[in-house]
Amino acid sequence: MKAVIVLFALPALILPVACLGYILWQGLPALNWQVFSGQGMSGFAQEHGLYGQVAGSLLLMLGATVIAAPVALALALFTRLYLKQRLQTYVTTLLHLLQGIPPIVYGLCGLILFVHLLHWGISLLAGQVILAVIILPVLVLNSLHALERIPGEQTEAACSLGLNNGQLIRRVWLPAAWPAMLTGLLLGMARALSETAPILFTATVFSGVVWPDSLFSPVTSLQTHIFYLAQEGANSQVVGVAWGAAVILIALILLFSAGALWLRRVQYRHRRMSG
Amino acid sequence: MNLNRSLPCTPMESGANKIVSAQPSLCLCNVSLQLDGHAILGEISLHMPQTGITALIGPSGAGKSTLLRCINRLHDGWQGSIELGGQSVRETDVDSLRRQIGLIAQKPAVFPCSIRDNVIFGLPNQQRKSVSDESIRQVLEQAALWREVETRLNDDADTLSVGQQQRLCLARALMLEPSFLLLDEPTSALDPRSRDMIEHSLQSIASQIPLLWVTHDLEQAKRISERVIFICDGRLIEQADASDFFSRPERMESREFLRWNVCDCD
Ligand SMILES: Nc1ncnc2c1ncn2[C@@H]1O[C@H](COP(=O)(O)OP(=O)(O)O)[C@@H](O)[C@H]1O
Ligand SMILES: [Mg+2]
Repeated sequence: MKAVIVLFALPALILPVACLGYILWQGLPALNWQVFSGQGMSGFAQEHGLYGQVAGSLLLMLGATVIAAPVALALALFTRLYLKQRLQTYVTTLLHLLQGIPPIVYGLCGLILFVHLLHWGISLLAGQVILAVIILPVLVLNSLHALERIPGEQTEAACSLGLNNGQLIRRVWLPAAWPAMLTGLLLGMARALSETAPILFTATVFSGVVWPDSLFSPVTSLQTHIFYLAQEGANSQVVGVAWGAAVILIALILLFSAGALWLRRVQYRHRRMSG
Repeated sequence: MNLNRSLPCTPMESGANKIVSAQPSLCLCNVSLQLDGHAILGEISLHMPQTGITALIGPSGAGKSTLLRCINRLHDGWQGSIELGGQSVRETDVDSLRRQIGLIAQKPAVFPCSIRDNVIFGLPNQQRKSVSDESIRQVLEQAALWREVETRLNDDADTLSVGQQQRLCLARALMLEPSFLLLDEPTSALDPRSRDMIEHSLQSIASQIPLLWVTHDLEQAKRISERVIFICDGRLIEQADASDFFSRPERMESREFLRWNVCDCD
């Protein structure tokens, strides 16, 4: 039995590690200052270097976070404060369903609504808003979960002492819930960095932009750049740059995920010590 | 004083007609509550004296906790009238009402901060900064906790034992100088020593303000209370002076309850 389990489990472990190893093996040699800065490079949008794509990815992610975080917090607080238990369950179910919608569908909606109907064009803002919508369910669910873990007795004790809702949130709920909320936020940021399809035709272009002039300019991003470059499969130099871009992207995502993991560990240790 | 004026609907129940001498501190008139379509409380009318301990007893699930939560409006969907010091609790701002009414829950809930910060948790922002160590000492002494925490006021509150935490909750409520205290089985989770300490300190507090004390422990009710209110299935069965209630209860339900619970004790 053990052998069977190991047989099936092993690929699950080996495959990602092998993938990561292969990407590093291919990508690390391709990474150098030239590729990053674009000095002395030409062709296939390489004359500007990868830093434009890094900047674009980060701008998209940060914008999405800035939009989604307050909305998610407000939604979670509203749900916990004002909705009956049954409605709260409905909200949670709805959010889980939203999480299941393929990102490309959000991209399509964004294309119709923001790019065309609102005349934003292919723009940074459209990408940010779409990514915000995509990461919103994760953030709300995570915040709700953090709030649910606060003992009801504490909430009740605070109310019995005459704290109003604002004071309850500021002095009891947020101090208890913020580390878990921040963990969720970091995971959401990692997600926003990795989404490719929804920004492919709403926010990004292949080349011609290094730094967007405004929220309404298109950007380039690491994710979509890899996609464009990978289509040039015959040109080994171009594909090398794609591998390099992949390494940078993975490093960024790992950074945020690791931050989330670290925060979670810290909370866990703290709970064990105090509880 | 004409009590019929201040008690617009003096309860007609037998045993409920032993009118307290002064104007009552708390007066409930036909209070009913439904939750999720179930009637939890039905037409409860009662009144409490200006000081002293009133024990609220009844089998578990009778609606004792729910009744307390109606009084400080943690439940707000009830019908009827609840008056505190002659004023309807509906007409008082809910937050200041709750500052007036201290509530000690069955399970102590301390906040994850220092003992000192827990004591002053309910105070408004400016007062929390300016509060004197002397007044903190006073309430902790009143709650019979001072000697145990004197040297460790800045330690985390959850380093205290459950019994100490319960006394901390009491001190926290006293800090707001409540004019009324609701106690929901405050000693049921505690060891006998902590229980005695809490009973002792609450008895001295009861010389100044009225206490409504939910307990399922009849021995405790006998020990501490001057008045007894007995509810069952969300209905008020009997309210009487404690000595009368325990020696010759008027209602059959009361006699039965006393008999069963005495059996439990053996
Ligand atoms: N939020 C609620 N929703 C529905 N029913 C409730 C709620 N809270 C309490 N009840 C019901 O009200 C009744 C009285 O509960 P409670 O006041 O806690 O009883 P006691 O404190 O006397 O043991 C119980 O039958 C309980 O199931
Ligand atoms: Mg109860």
